[in-house]
Amino acid sequence: MVKIDVENLYFRYPEASDYALRNISFRIVEGESVAILGENGAGKTTLAKNLNGLLKPTEGSVKIDGVDTRSLSVARIARKIGFVNHNPEHQFFSEKVEEEVRFGLRNFGFSEEAADKTIREILSVFGLEEYRGKNPFQLSGGEKKRLAIASIMAWRPEALIVDEPTIGMDYAQKLNIRRVLRSIVSEGRCVIVITHDVDFAASICERAIILSRGEVIGDGRLRDLLSDDRLVEKASLRKPFLIELEEETGLNGLEEDFDTISSILMEVFQKCRS
Amino acid sequence: MSFLRAFKYRRKDTPVHRLDPRSKFLLSIVLMVVSIVFTDIRVLLALVAGQLILLTLAKSLREWLSSLRGLLFFFAVIFVTQLLFGGTLYTGIVLSLRLLALSSSMSWFFLSSTPEDIGRAMSVAGLPIELTFSFTMAIRFIPVIYDEFQSIYDTQRSRGLELEKGGFRNRIRNLMPVLIPLLVGTIRRTYEIADAMEVRAFGASPKRTTYRPLRLKSGDYLVFLASIILIILALVLKLVYGVE
Repeated sequence: MVKIDVENLYFRYPEASDYALRNISFRIVEGESVAILGENGAGKTTLAKNLNGLLKPTEGSVKIDGVDTRSLSVARIARKIGFVNHNPEHQFFSEKVEEEVRFGLRNFGFSEEAADKTIREILSVFGLEEYRGKNPFQLSGGEKKRLAIASIMAWRPEALIVDEPTIGMDYAQKLNIRRVLRSIVSEGRCVIVITHDVDFAASICERAIILSRGEVIGDGRLRDLLSDDRLVEKASLRKPFLIELEEETGLNGLEEDFDTISSILMEVFQKCRS
Repeated sequence: MSFLRAFKYRRKDTPVHRLDPRSKFLLSIVLMVVSIVFTDIRVLLALVAGQLILLTLAKSLREWLSSLRGLLFFFAVIFVTQLLFGGTLYTGIVLSLRLLALSSSMSWFFLSSTPEDIGRAMSVAGLPIELTFSFTMAIRFIPVIYDEFQSIYDTQRSRGLELEKGGFRNRIRNLMPVLIPLLVGTIRRTYEIADAMEVRAFGASPKRTTYRPLRLKSGDYLVFLASIILIILALVLKLVYGVE
């Protein structure tokens, strides 16, 4: 299973005078669910693109299973580490949902027979089988996001990086995406979520890496990091709702039953509105 | 796409940046026409040298140089077609120089003039606002479209797409997963911008005013003079001395 080692990573864009990432070191191993958090411009997406080889370190190194990304093609890394862009429309070009999924499978040399079988399975897992023949651009925002993830997960990468999975999503769509990502984590695969949405991150990830101005200012258990007022303020974040609720009520372990509490709160909220 | 960097305005305080866009535009057009009309290597070299001076004055030499990497592909195409269809290495060099002179003649102008300034200059020249506004928007959106292209390209590479793989036909076919999302996104954005403009009453008043009227200064008259001298020089070289 995959292992990502980042050692003293510095990254600077070709025309920039300053580094976008500075002195970053961490290790991500199989089965981990990691949230990369931070304010706008903190370097989250730049870091993600360094992890899957789209960008190569200016100094330091990123190693996938011990091999430096500088010596690997993006395609070879992508076979192990999938990357889902924040805008799913940046990847759609086929007329049909199934063809969109087939694209990656063809690139990675799956036979047509194996691809057909995989497409059937993955569309079913992601609840998209009824849209199989539909144009991807005609799907809803949540469905597009699910299709984007499905078309990457089709070739079963060992790790998945998802950039801003909840942008423009309503509550129900977020729940669907959360269900999908949780199922990937439960398979023992590594999931790295880049997001501003701390509630969403808290509902999926055990670990958080917090960035501020290109530097890691926190790396550890998500719950511990996001309980730290100073750190949360420095990264321009806020505490997840459940941590705030625990602090207010003095109750502990609410995150253990996130789904139940979320649905109770939704019910209360809807009753209050009506 | 990196050659587009040579056409992206950079805010700087230089004598070239301070010039009126009309005088810069005239000189730029003259330089462009001269580089099209002549094939003599000495004229083309002189043109490129002159433009290098302009780029140095505009403190934009670095941007221009970094864009050359993008032009390398076109130089390669020129050389290959020349060698395939009966040309020589010399004609390849001349045509590449001409392309360099041609792109540089526009490059220093766009690097030193804001899209708004260019639009104002076109309006002053009497062109309809619909045309000047579209032109300004097109220029302003070049970097946006470039960023979007890069993002789409990265996304498709993350799905195993390798543009550099296979023969020429295969490479063209491989471009489709990049070009289609780019085209769809651009068309969508066009409609959104049109709506955003309409809700802010674009075109409601036929008489438009500007809060920064253009004024010619002494430096602009010098540029006009230089343009006229260049035209005369080009005519003399062509008609009197018969320079190719």
